[in-house]
Amino acid sequence: MPEPIVTLRAVTKTYREGAGERMVLAGVDASFEAGEFIVLVGKSGSGKSTLLHLVSGIDLPSQGDVQVMGRLLGSLSEEERTLFRRRNVGFIFQAYNLIPTLTVEENLLLPLELRGEVNADDRGRARELLEDVGLSTRSDSFPDELSGGEQQRVAVARALVHEPLLVLADEPTGNLDDQTGHEVLDLIDRLTRQKRRTVVVVTHDRDLIERADRVFALERGRLFERPKASG
Amino acid sequence: MSTLLVRSSFRHLRRHPALMLLSIIGIALGVAVVVSIDLANGSALRAFSLSAQGITGKATHQLLGGPSGLDDSLYVRLRRELGPVAAAPIVEGFVTSPLEPGRAFRLLGVDPFAEAPFRSYVAADASQGLREFLSSPGAAFVSAATADRLGVATGAAWPIAIEGVPKQIVAVARIEAPAGTPARALDDVLITDIATAQELLGYSGKLSRVDLLVPDSTDLAELAAHVRDLCGGRCELRRAAARSLMTTQMGRAFSLNLSALSLLALVVGIFLVYNTMTFAVVQRRPLIGTLRCLGVTRSEVFGFVVREALVLAVPATAFGIALGVLLATELVHLVTRTINDLYFVVNVREVSLDVQTIAKGVVLGLGATLLAALAPAWEATRVPPSITLRRSSSEAALARNAGRLAFGGVALAALATALLAWPGKNLLVSYMGLFGVLLAAALATPAATRAFALAARPVAARIFGVVGRMAARGIVASLTRTSIALAALMIAVATTVGVGIMVHSFRRTVADWLAASLESDIFVQPPSLISRKGDSTLLPSVVERVASTEGVSSINTIRNRRIRTLDGEIDLHVPVLNRPGSRVYRFQKQESGDVMQKLEREQTVAITEPYAFHHDLGVGSKLEIMTDRGHESFRIIGIYADYASDEGGVLMSRNVYERHFEDRRISAMALVAEPGVDLAALSEKVRQRAGTEQALHIRLNRELREASLSIFDRTFAITQVLRLLSMGVAFVGILSALMALALERARELAILRAVGLLPRQLVQLVTLQTSLMGLCAGLLSIPLGIALAFILVFVINRRSFGWTLELALPAHVMIEAIALSLLAALLAGIYPSWKMARAHPAAALRED
Repeated sequence: MPEPIVTLRAVTKTYREGAGERMVLAGVDASFEAGEFIVLVGKSGSGKSTLLHLVSGIDLPSQGDVQVMGRLLGSLSEEERTLFRRRNVGFIFQAYNLIPTLTVEENLLLPLELRGEVNADDRGRARELLEDVGLSTRSDSFPDELSGGEQQRVAVARALVHEPLLVLADEPTGNLDDQTGHEVLDLIDRLTRQKRRTVVVVTHDRDLIERADRVFALERGRLFERPKASG
Repeated sequence: MSTLLVRSSFRHLRRHPALMLLSIIGIALGVAVVVSIDLANGSALRAFSLSAQGITGKATHQLLGGPSGLDDSLYVRLRRELGPVAAAPIVEGFVTSPLEPGRAFRLLGVDPFAEAPFRSYVAADASQGLREFLSSPGAAFVSAATADRLGVATGAAWPIAIEGVPKQIVAVARIEAPAGTPARALDDVLITDIATAQELLGYSGKLSRVDLLVPDSTDLAELAAHVRDLCGGRCELRRAAARSLMTTQMGRAFSLNLSALSLLALVVGIFLVYNTMTFAVVQRRPLIGTLRCLGVTRSEVFGFVVREALVLAVPATAFGIALGVLLATELVHLVTRTINDLYFVVNVREVSLDVQTIAKGVVLGLGATLLAALAPAWEATRVPPSITLRRSSSEAALARNAGRLAFGGVALAALATALLAWPGKNLLVSYMGLFGVLLAAALATPAATRAFALAARPVAARIFGVVGRMAARGIVASLTRTSIALAALMIAVATTVGVGIMVHSFRRTVADWLAASLESDIFVQPPSLISRKGDSTLLPSVVERVASTEGVSSINTIRNRRIRTLDGEIDLHVPVLNRPGSRVYRFQKQESGDVMQKLEREQTVAITEPYAFHHDLGVGSKLEIMTDRGHESFRIIGIYADYASDEGGVLMSRNVYERHFEDRRISAMALVAEPGVDLAALSEKVRQRAGTEQALHIRLNRELREASLSIFDRTFAITQVLRLLSMGVAFVGILSALMALALERARELAILRAVGLLPRQLVQLVTLQTSLMGLCAGLLSIPLGIALAFILVFVINRRSFGWTLELALPAHVMIEAIALSLLAALLAGIYPSWKMARAHPAAALRED
């Protein structure tokens, strides 16, 4: 059996709050396989985003281990975790977070450039992706010239352009209307399944839950796998 | 670094052209001030060294006598006795000419037959027109450049004046600087035969010095002893370079303080860059967070911010250096005038561009900008890659930490106070203390701003309603940005307040001192080349005629002249006070009458506060003076207040003076009128009695006080210019900080517009908020400015000059500070509020 892409072992995360501490995650165990489409649900403040941060190496657990693609993130330095993220993780945010001073094409090329020189193949791949997300005619536009849906489609393309094995999405349809949200989800679903990427999505969107391979819920710091029907 | 990140960075700057431009102007002004002061100081000192070098020629040593010079018979003995040591006699003095009023010309009397080893350009075997030079009355060699500038043809008579007495010379030939010597070295030099110089300068039978060329193999101690024997202990051997070095060191404290003041302008510039870069970081926290999520490392983020700062620094530094050179051409006149007023005679025709100064400008411009960018760059690396962390949390953190920061400020202020109280004369330690106080004030700014906003809220609400309340609330709500802007603004304005108070306090102290020390009614003195020294002498015939003027009840006189001590040269003042109970001199802890009586009776002197300070002397110490009878020791019996010179001076009674010096001349007369005599009429009568034999300044008490204060104002003109430049930087700082703040709030303002705020109300809100911030900074700058003034007056001034000054707090300086802050704040509010009021709210809401 192949090794899981992500493994969480007894992961606990606490934050200081005034004089005391608040436990957000309390001994979470889970593993996500390659190519799986994972959905993470839970109430506001339940720790969903925290979990994404731990999986991406943005943050470290207070206790327990996070292993991604065989690497124990806790054993890496901050710099190594950043470089690991640069190569292996794609991010999609609720608020799109495109770089406002870069054009659509430049936003797409940024993750590639961060890894090193951008060659002709890279440019070709970026153009292909732009076509896939239906924005090939807007490559020279700046983010503030695009609608919310268009911006999120660029963000999806940016998350995939450097071909990461793991894509993390935090409420990717939270800022979009139903129709546009569906379109974006279709896009994420299609592009990630096509390339067998592992996707972890934090969402409240029922439609997305329907598309998931597995659904996890966070409640009182604990992670439970739910049967999809109960979503 | 990714080229896309660089491009993104450039575009960010391009999208905020006004802010970028203001930052560039701010740092450029800071660099320009430092470069210009450095160039102006350097040009004046280089001009002096150059002219000293041209005059000293190849002489290695000089033989010097007392203030009245050496007997010229000594030279003959020296030639006979010194063997391999070449010697050349020199008579030297300064003259003026109506052909170019205000400029001093150096008159050098030489023996052309002895000059070959020293100054080849006047050597007998090389000189043209030698026959006329030796035989024609008033014959002189002049530098070709000077003759051309004044349009004096060879053979033409040239009117000059010596201590106000008109004389004439004839330019018989032109001389050029020899190869290897800069052409300017001979600027404004007139060379005559020894006898001609003696006659012109009233130096009959005397030499100013004898230049010597001592071979390396000579035993100097033996030579010194030998020449001392030859002159009967009335001369001494000195290295030739030592004298000019000593002269240039006179203005060292002046130059140092100018440089320090110019650095203050740069510090304000640094705050400006710090402010801009911090805004850039705070404003882009979410963007930086996104980049961190995408895999941009901390060091890359750091580099990103630093690189952006460099983009500002490079053009700003280049612009600043160019502006500095331009500014220096103006400032050099102010510096030269001050040096001529206070220290030594120097003519500076142009700013000499010094590679070192330009390099200093580059290092300071780039270094200061990088230094200013370090904290924001570090702050940027701390941005968590999580976008969930909104600014509100950092605002909350700062609000919580404001008290802690203020406490840190208090601790730093205590440390700075300890540095300021540190005994000794180290100015660097004092300036570290001063900058520590500035930093401490900056740390306390968030807490002070919060307190101000809380106090202002009910007042603003009562006057302007909901808009007023929102304006005051907005200051606290965005404390991370408002407190930085306010700290920058407060420091900039406080600098101008501090310097303003210092100059005012100094001026008032001097005015009080003049009022107390000028007791007589009319003052008569010839013009002096160094205004404050007044060491020219009155012709005896003039003294006689003036003294017998009808209506004069008593006469005080003074002789001022330069003397040498073991520590160098110093001004000697020899008064004759014929008015009983005179309090012209105020002594520390002693009655004036007691000291003056003792000065008359014993071989004693009194010294000024600065002299005591610079040389660590006190009552009871001994001062060794080179008199006309050789070295003599004088006991110091008093220390008195005197603001005429920062190097200080020595006071000796006329009795004692005449016992040790061959000079009987006087430099000035102070006349006391008989009761009921009309002073203006008496002054006119004195003018008529004095005649036209010698140019004289005849001034009433009030006029002399005004003239003295105008010299004071002239010497502080450059300080005032620096203060104005700092105000300029402050103004730019306020403008950019507040504009950045208002522009950054575009979205918030758009929301307010969307919920129904009228454009007019929006203008009111923005203007009111920037005005409140201006007022807050203005108010905070006053205590800080007073603290700076206190440090400048009681620490920096004392450690630089040793003067006791009284601190005076002029209301106009404080009002200016508030007005400056408010005006800049109002101006800063105009553009953003106009822009916001015109913008469509939807567009602003979309631009997130």
